[in-house]
Amino acid sequence: MATAAVYSSPGFDFSNEIRNNFLASKGIPLPKATSTGTTIVGCIFEDGIILGADTRATEGPIVADKNCEKIHYITESIRCCGAGTAADTEFVTNLISSNMEMHALTHNRKPRVVTAMTMLKQYLFRYQGHVGAALVLGGVDATGPNLFTIAPHGSTDKLPYVTMGSGSLAAMAVFESGWRKGMSREEALTLVKSAISAGIFNDLGSGSNVDACIITANNTEMLRNVEMPNERVQKERTYVFPKGTTAWKKEEVRKLVVQEEVRLVGEAMDTD
Amino acid sequence: MSIMEYNGGSVIAMVGKDCVAIASDLRLGNQALGISSNFQKIFPVTDRIYLGLPGLATDVTTLREVFRFRVNMYTIKEEREIEPETFAHLVSSTLYERRFGPYFIEPVMAGLSKVATGGFKPFIAATDLIGCLNFAKDFVVAGTASSKLYGAAEGLWEPDLEPEQLFETISQTMLNAVDRDAYSGWGVVVHVIEKDKITTRTLKGRMD
Amino acid sequence: MNSLANRFSTTGPINELRRAKSVLEDDEFTDSAWGSEAGFGSLAKGVPNFTVPSVPDPSAFLRLHTDDYADPSCRIKIQHGTTTLAFRFQGGVIVAVDSRATAGSYVASGTVKKVIEINPYLLGTMAGGAADCQYWETYLGIHCRLHELRNHERISVSAASKYLSNLVYSYKGMGLSMGTMICGWDKTGPAVFYVDSDGTRLKGDIFSVGSGSTFAYGVLDQGYRWDLTDEEAQELGRRSIYAAGHRDAFSGNTCNLYHVKEDGWKFIGNYDISKLHYDGPGETPGAGYGYDVRVERSAAIAVQA
Repeated sequence: MATAAVYSSPGFDFSNEIRNNFLASKGIPLPKATSTGTTIVGCIFEDGIILGADTRATEGPIVADKNCEKIHYITESIRCCGAGTAADTEFVTNLISSNMEMHALTHNRKPRVVTAMTMLKQYLFRYQGHVGAALVLGGVDATGPNLFTIAPHGSTDKLPYVTMGSGSLAAMAVFESGWRKGMSREEALTLVKSAISAGIFNDLGSGSNVDACIITANNTEMLRNVEMPNERVQKERTYVFPKGTTAWKKEEVRKLVVQEEVRLVGEAMDTD
Repeated sequence: MSIMEYNGGSVIAMVGKDCVAIASDLRLGNQALGISSNFQKIFPVTDRIYLGLPGLATDVTTLREVFRFRVNMYTIKEEREIEPETFAHLVSSTLYERRFGPYFIEPVMAGLSKVATGGFKPFIAATDLIGCLNFAKDFVVAGTASSKLYGAAEGLWEPDLEPEQLFETISQTMLNAVDRDAYSGWGVVVHVIEKDKITTRTLKGRMD
Repeated sequence: MNSLANRFSTTGPINELRRAKSVLEDDEFTDSAWGSEAGFGSLAKGVPNFTVPSVPDPSAFLRLHTDDYADPSCRIKIQHGTTTLAFRFQGGVIVAVDSRATAGSYVASGTVKKVIEINPYLLGTMAGGAADCQYWETYLGIHCRLHELRNHERISVSAASKYLSNLVYSYKGMGLSMGTMICGWDKTGPAVFYVDSDGTRLKGDIFSVGSGSTFAYGVLDQGYRWDLTDEEAQELGRRSIYAAGHRDAFSGNTCNLYHVKEDGWKFIGNYDISKLHYDGPGETPGAGYGYDVRVERSAAIAVQA
């Protein structure tokens, strides 16, 4: 009911369930949602956390978005990489970001990374894996740098270097051979870049560019497309069609108002 | 069979120089049987936003009314027209609300958004059936001919096309893609949105 | 882990394939396997021998891998979706077909030849498995020629179609898929026989086969008379295929039209169905078959009057 929509309670709406279950029972499967095959990583270095992600979004075998953003904002000093069902990672991080802001305002202090991690895991556990988000959460708070992974069912890991998504094996291979305790910022960034590159080049679900985010105690630096190893070369020639190529049957032109001018007419009203 | 193939249909949107274009086919089918060659899938939302709704026809009609209602409520509450970016998020959250019982629609949006300096900026976006937004800088596609549209558009699109060139490019992309799709076709409609006018043309497409 | 489980399981397609392969490898190769008899097997034996997958139910096995309706990701996609028609009238036989080939929703080709020219007096149409029709109707052509050589006269359409129907009947249940019309002219005059892979063989005046056949029948039944002139009959065939190409998603692109007379078949022409919609078979723009085109035309005439 459209009228009910304004007053509807928050949360999911299951009113199409009966219809869709009927269709499923007829052997008609649900269409594929956009997913991020994805390579996402995070690692601790001497001053904080570096997160990394590729930028490919897929719909089955098709690349739906060649340059999407997978490092999501949680708070100024906490970020979260998402893999799995793209809509779920987007909305779950948005929701927790809002809740973290509310948390900060009610308690009048900067919330910690564990708080975000707990909110996320409790939310994901409640939906028993049906909300398909696999996350890498990282940030710096009063307790120092923190790095977690959160699986779709709600289990979490706390490790010095982590990877997730379909490219996690390729990326972990790089971390396992290259990560050391107390790396410098440059060393860690190079390592994250090569871990993501390993995913981009060796995993079919990952591709395009490298995004990175460096979080330290008093600064967060978002490095969007820090590496672009798959840029399309300039087309050799253009394929502009001459005007009149396409035959059409009917044309309608609707003029739009671009600028309005309000001019006063007559005497001004006496307001004394 | 996929439920998206029950009625068939496809939509594409493309960015040009200070303009955008959105096109759809006109077929409404019942699986292999063609029912109508005049089924509207693109709807005006505001003067400068058009919304394409390819997918299950019953949901096309429902969602079109849902969005009309929600956009009207926004206009009344905010006392201003909705901007394309805001509208994209409205579409996204409306679909995500039904994450576990979705509408079988993959919306495509095209419009011009106001910029602070006073001009207009081209805007296109698409979402999947549960509302995952895809803001592209070149083109977005959806529907039963999407795989064919990706191929054609990837080859024909180029940056900074003038409105007339954009019309030819989007038309040729659409016509050639739907000719390779059994569930799309039966005529094509194209809207080119510029800052001072909207040109709507019905193309002479293959009727088989 | 999966492969380990598969190796010891007794069901599943991979296992079926492996069993079939091991049986095949044991077989000795005959000359026909190397193509020395033009791929038509041993002609000496009369009917060629095909190796069938050694599974309990070959047709279920084939269906498992070819049913793209139940499983869109199936391994083998057989071409289907077609409109073909043939009818007998005073002036001979009209054979008309579309030219679209689809694999799932993808239009794989728009220029398929669905009329198989068996010999100068016999035509076969193609619906169902393209390969099955092509192969067996070419094979039928060989035997029609052998009949001519042996008996010093042309084979009758009835005998040729019976030969085909007996042949496909011997493969019944093994997954052949064809719905065909054998058309020609013999001592008895014009003749049309419907033969399909179930073994059905029917003599008749009007047949249409394929996903678009209902649309074609609609036009055909409405316009059919025995004493149609040649031009009227050709127009009816063309118009019927247009109707099917227009309404059916799996038919379309072009129409191939043949006319069989006493002196053998003649190819009349290839017509673009979209052009038929807007302009009709001639060169007059706006004289098309399309509903909206006709409405526009009569509106224009009304304005003139």
